Amino acid sequence: MVVQAHAAATDPAGIDLDVVREIVSHFKPQDHQEAQELILAALQEVNERFGYVSLEAAEIVAAHLGTTANRVYGLLTFYADFRTEPRGKHFMLVCHGMSCYALGSQALVQELKDRWGIADGGTTADGELTIQVVNGCLGVCDKAPIVELDHAFHGDLTVERLNDVIQRAIAARNASPVAILGSGSDHGSQQ
Amino acid sequence: MDLSNSTMTDALGGEEEAGGSYGRLGSRADFETYQRRAQDRWTELWEGEYAVVSVGLDSSSIAKGADRVLAACREALAGDRATVREVSGNGAMWMEPWVEVKRPGEPPVVFGNIEPDEVPALLRGELAERAVGVRAEHAFNGVPPLTDHPFFKHQLRIVLANVGLIEPDSIEDAVARGAYSAYLKVLFDMSAEEVVAELTAANVRGRGGAGFPAGIKWESGRKAKVTPKFVVCNSHEGEPNVYKDRRIHEGDPHRILEGILIACITVGAERGYNYIGGEYPLAIKRFRKAVADAERLGLIGRNVLGSGKDVYFRVRTGGGAYICGEGSALMYSIMGVRGQPRTKPPRSVEEGIWKRPTVANNTETLANVPDIVNKGGAWYAAIGTEKSKGTKLMTVQGPVKTMGLVEVPMGTTMRTLLEEMWGGMRDGSVLKGIQTGGVSAGQLAAEHLDLPVDFDSLTPVGGMLGSGGFAVFDQRVCAVDFARYLTAFNRYESCSKCVPCRLGNPALVEIIDRIRFGRASLDDLPLIQRTSKHIIELSLCGLGQVAPEPLLGMIKQFEDEFRTHIIDGVCPAGVCPIGAPGIASVAAD
Ligand SMILES: Cc1cc2nc3c(=O)[nH]c(=O)nc-3n(C[C@H](O)[C@H](O)[C@H](O)COP(=O)(O)O)c2cc1C
Ligand code: SF4
Ligand code: FES
Repeated sequence: MVVQAHAAATDPAGIDLDVVREIVSHFKPQDHQEAQELILAALQEVNERFGYVSLEAAEIVAAHLGTTANRVYGLLTFYADFRTEPRGKHFMLVCHGMSCYALGSQALVQELKDRWGIADGGTTADGELTIQVVNGCLGVCDKAPIVELDHAFHGDLTVERLNDVIQRAIAARNASPVAILGSGSDHGSQQ
Repeated sequence: MDLSNSTMTDALGGEEEAGGSYGRLGSRADFETYQRRAQDRWTELWEGEYAVVSVGLDSSSIAKGADRVLAACREALAGDRATVREVSGNGAMWMEPWVEVKRPGEPPVVFGNIEPDEVPALLRGELAERAVGVRAEHAFNGVPPLTDHPFFKHQLRIVLANVGLIEPDSIEDAVARGAYSAYLKVLFDMSAEEVVAELTAANVRGRGGAGFPAGIKWESGRKAKVTPKFVVCNSHEGEPNVYKDRRIHEGDPHRILEGILIACITVGAERGYNYIGGEYPLAIKRFRKAVADAERLGLIGRNVLGSGKDVYFRVRTGGGAYICGEGSALMYSIMGVRGQPRTKPPRSVEEGIWKRPTVANNTETLANVPDIVNKGGAWYAAIGTEKSKGTKLMTVQGPVKTMGLVEVPMGTTMRTLLEEMWGGMRDGSVLKGIQTGGVSAGQLAAEHLDLPVDFDSLTPVGGMLGSGGFAVFDQRVCAVDFARYLTAFNRYESCSKCVPCRLGNPALVEIIDRIRFGRASLDDLPLIQRTSKHIIELSLCGLGQVAPEPLLGMIKQFEDEFRTHIIDGVCPAGVCPIGAPGIASVAAD
């Protein structure tokens, strides 16, 4: 039931399933145990490539690694980094670690709710911006509070600067909504 | 441009440059030859007649533009015979991005807070006043040694010895600086019993939070009869208060890998795993590169260096669920299911990954192992305090002046850490407290600064060493609101498997919210105590069992502030929806 509800996500373009097939084809487990160990890794690659994992994509991963869509869906809803719905044009991580908290991230989260109408995981009504509130620490604590918007970090934020940063990103339109957490991602190894 | 590389290509008789395609090493002698060449090359680099420019790139400095600084250095030196190196950050976030410039015949000088467009001037020698220190024992041209700086002065770097110094992507750099020499001993010279004996003599306790002696765990693993066995390195680091393990990965991945491989050989494990938090792409990338290079050289695989021993390796990455740092949850996550802890016993050393004996240790614990093997347990046990041996990585957050990751002997006082190393509070900030132990313990107050920081000394006042992350907060932070943040973290991250944690933590948040919104009564304070007792006593795993501790600590440390909220309807810090002093309290929500 739940799975169905999410399959109807607003995603006009959809995920190119051939690309998903191509991604999973690199995973070559030697036995069923290793296949299970690779489910998360395969989902991570799909999530990174498209910004989310659709039901159809989940089914391809499940079939390739010899498991069920239900199990895969259970993972997608447990691990915070996965999304089951597409992201907006811009994607922003809002650090809510302790340095950011102690230096004012609460006010940023509040502003995102009040002014932009979005909470953790949400997308603005116009589809421009999706945010994810990070419960860990982005590791740039001296610049707290900090966000990472389309790969670029913006630190020492106040509410005014946050609004400014978002507005400029939306105006610039050079969105890079997929691939999370900045430079250096590498999920190429399928050992 | 890259002089030392081209020189070495000749010396190696046509072999490729560092990190290149040097082939599989078939024996101990092969490795030792490789090691000598790496060392020669290292010496050549630092004593050669061309400049060496190193830029510290880790996930912290890159956020501040260090990658653009590196690019600017490359551009400025294109066509020059100087070597430009991508090292990792060295923990000193306050001076990022930094560039180290070594001119022939001079010691390396480190310059802080360099912008990309300043690079040409820097390289022309025009930014002398921005020198932070020289990486040498003695001052040079009036610039003091880096180790004289308060941030570095008290540090004893074992785990971080190479961090910021070697190129993390170069296995040759690592080997030149001693990587895999302990592994060699364990493969050829020492019995498993001897390795465990050194670890036990070192009395190294787990750095992941619980402080369990690694020697005992390894001994259980070694003695386990069921095969195959596994070793897993816990590099999840999902706490909101710490950034140490990712930095070891970013700066010296081979040290971690060597520690895991030593554990594998010692306990007889067929395979090592490293489970790295998915939020740390650079750590993952550099560690994967390290594994690939080690495989290429034959340090991983069948019949390692002709020793007759096989060991394999897998890298796995997390998905943003804090609970997956708990040992059994982490193993479920590796096995491709939801990371939900299970009841123990059986412990993981009896039944871990795929129900096989699995030795699990924190990254920092394992990163200590190579030096313990090389220098001996007695050497290690001479560092630190009576019950907490060795060094500890410590991180700080909040309004301090010189923030960063440091490595100090166990027992260093909080005052030394905060006031000297981390530069004290920023202007306008007055220390109110320090959250310790992540989301699992209470706070230190200003009067506790003289306590030594080790596994046991903070506990009597309600604090905890934990993973070594300290969140400093000032007068702008409200104790009630911070307690809500910490409790809400545990509520959100609860895996929902058991009732006391799943329902108890939301109940606590609800009570705190009553206080924040001015709807609480004094009866809510004992209610918090009762609810907490349920959660602590009845929860299944370590998350629930300590989830109320930060809140209880806040009430103990700042009870007046809680009472002021409840009785006077005022939030003294002006944070809570209840309203600030002087403002008529708003019925919020
Ligand atoms: C909720 C929870 C989260 C944890 N997170 C981590 C973690 O991120 N990294 C870690 O090394 N240990 C973590 N631990 C501790 C591990 O369960 C385990 O004690 C540790 O990894 C063992 O290694 P050590 O003995 O070397 O410390 C966590 C424990 C709990 C209960
Ligand atoms: S205590 Fe909390 S996190 Fe631990 S098993 Fe129970 S519900 Fe899960
Ligand atoms: S807490 Fe936000 S960067 Fe560390």
